[in-house]
Amino acid sequence: MKFLHWKKTGLFLLTVVALLALAACSSDDASGSSDTGEEPDKITAWAWDPNFNIAALELAKDAYEEDLDLEIIENAQDDIVQKLNTGLSSGSMKGMPNIVLIEDQRAQSFLQSYPDAFYPIGDYFNTDDFAPYKLAPTSLDGKQYGLPFDTGVTGLFFRTDYLEEAGYTKEDLTDITWEEYIEIGKDVKAKTGKDMISLDPNDLGILRVMIQSAGSWYVEDDGKTVNLVDNEPLKKAFENYKAMIEADFVKANSDWSQFIAAFNSGDVATVPSGNWIAPSIEAEASQAGKWEVAPIPRLDLDGAVNASNQGGSSFYVLNIPGKEKAAEFLGATFGSNEAFYQDLVLDVGALGTYAPAADGEAYQAENDYFSGQSVIADFSEWTEEIPSVNYGLHTYAIEDILAAEMQNYLKGKDLEAVLADAQAQAESQLK
Amino acid sequence: MKRTGLPYTASKKSLGRRLKNNYIGWLFILIAAAGISLFYFYPMIRALLLSFQSGMGANLQYVGLENYIRLFSDPTFITALTNTFIYLLVQVPIMIVLALFFSVLLNDATLKFKGFFRTAIFLPCVTSLVAYAVIFKYLFGVDGLINKFLMDLSIISEPLNWLSDPFLAKITIIAAITWRWTGYNMIFYLSALQNVDRSMYEAAKIDGASSFQQFFYITVPMLKPIILFTSIISTIGTLQLFDEVMNITNGGPGNATLSISMYIYNLSFEYSPDFGYAATVSYVIVILVVLLSLLQFKVAGDDK
Repeated sequence: MKFLHWKKTGLFLLTVVALLALAACSSDDASGSSDTGEEPDKITAWAWDPNFNIAALELAKDAYEEDLDLEIIENAQDDIVQKLNTGLSSGSMKGMPNIVLIEDQRAQSFLQSYPDAFYPIGDYFNTDDFAPYKLAPTSLDGKQYGLPFDTGVTGLFFRTDYLEEAGYTKEDLTDITWEEYIEIGKDVKAKTGKDMISLDPNDLGILRVMIQSAGSWYVEDDGKTVNLVDNEPLKKAFENYKAMIEADFVKANSDWSQFIAAFNSGDVATVPSGNWIAPSIEAEASQAGKWEVAPIPRLDLDGAVNASNQGGSSFYVLNIPGKEKAAEFLGATFGSNEAFYQDLVLDVGALGTYAPAADGEAYQAENDYFSGQSVIADFSEWTEEIPSVNYGLHTYAIEDILAAEMQNYLKGKDLEAVLADAQAQAESQLK
Repeated sequence: MKRTGLPYTASKKSLGRRLKNNYIGWLFILIAAAGISLFYFYPMIRALLLSFQSGMGANLQYVGLENYIRLFSDPTFITALTNTFIYLLVQVPIMIVLALFFSVLLNDATLKFKGFFRTAIFLPCVTSLVAYAVIFKYLFGVDGLINKFLMDLSIISEPLNWLSDPFLAKITIIAAITWRWTGYNMIFYLSALQNVDRSMYEAAKIDGASSFQQFFYITVPMLKPIILFTSIISTIGTLQLFDEVMNITNGGPGNATLSISMYIYNLSFEYSPDFGYAATVSYVIVILVVLLSLLQFKVAGDDK
């Protein structure tokens, strides 16, 4: 009996010792690693989309005159978000990259969740050179953490041949409202049999595009107060979304590759999307000359503009050894190099928000794939009109609530009730 | 009485040897115990502590039971819980019955190519979770093979939106898990069937029992402990369901297929990270696993 007792006590003591040892280890990690350590030889960068962001980084690496060993690692965006969250919350910065690309809608949640994890890089470039709507989400408490990159400016990509067959020209698509877009879509479907648009019922990105064109968001300007129930633009956006589904011209997709396939295969007539989709459209060489881009439709509201933003992203530097090197690199390329931006639009089709670059020649270049249109010049013109909104912290959480309520709305639930329920749920969930 | 001295010295000796032996024994226990504490108990305790904290990312504060109270007024959590129970109540019985059915068929002594069939049915559960989920996604896509097949057979006239209809999406998930795990359960039944004495069936046959009667009065009772075991394993598996939902429907359309694990993922990585609340939801799974296992033991378990 006594022996058994001993055994238990021993095991218990052992467990306690092990726990204490571990706890000690982990707290050491948290405090020690962020600022100490030697300057690394290699700078790493994480980004997604090989046709766009990765290609832009490769180009920046070539344009950078200093000697820098830059390793660019491609990760899916979800993986980057996941790795950053697990890494940063553990308190250990081991295995973190020096440079990371983060979507604007997510930026604030990272900056506020991990206060010391990012390195302010405002001194390495002139913030006045960048579009104002990009500066708000990339800074916190007056410090500039992100180097604004991808504009995310939206356009209405359309198949000229299908639209022509249905009797429409580019003028008919220019500066229209979503209601007009839906009417054209019905016509196109009736006359050509082609769907007008491909949507993923799980991804309400199109709602974001719609409401930002009217200067509205899921939260009010403070970034915190949930703004759904009395949000007129959002109401309109919901109505438009339902009208599209009911017009029966939506080709459903359930992921990125199906989305790409929807237009590469020639099944849909238009792609209202961020400009970053251009390289994916151009990837289908057989459709060269059959596409053009019109301004994105706007909401039928006073003050709404035919310009919006979808999925723009920016570069951030982590607060780990090598941060100065990384910031210098970003500042000298994406932050100030006009010549580099000319190459960027020509070679990659990536449009940054660096304003001085817009005067360069390359921005005027005609793109044969898009029927000789000066696509970049048009995009950068629309960029200037994008209304600035505060995305706040909860874009994705609110959007999941809205997605569930959208299903109810499509099934016939009253719109007022839909938005009121979404508002109540968001308020209880996000404190 | 007269040999008192002898046992005393003997016992002293053996006590020394016993202690020495015990040191070696203790050493083995120590290593294992340290490993278990390090990799199981420590994370469990940390997670429990985490579940009493809340805040974004690294800014965590103790909030007491607030997270647990929040659970009850969180509609997304309730949706996830309901979905998970729908999977559990629909899928586990279907799978167990199917697995039993297959195992009895494949246990037939007269069946040829037994090894081939057994392997074929078992194979799904050794394929990569992600790979099979992606394939299911394409099978059930609007332009997918399933729709094409059903249309060729004139069962449906228009392609079904398997992945973006709330009801059909649940069916797709259930089909996927059933496909994957039926073979796994079948193997347990097959091995248990090897221990059922054939003479019992012969005796039953002589007594005039039909195949049905043999199945319900011999096979099922003999397999009862194994059926209990597989249903507990399957229950735990379903409560932890993640890969299929993540890769096939991503929880959608509009949370219609969201599972509890997927919700934990969303809370940690999709939304502004709240690891404290995510840990609370994880502990709900732990509590449910314990409760449901106890229930199953009570309902179906032996008295021993």
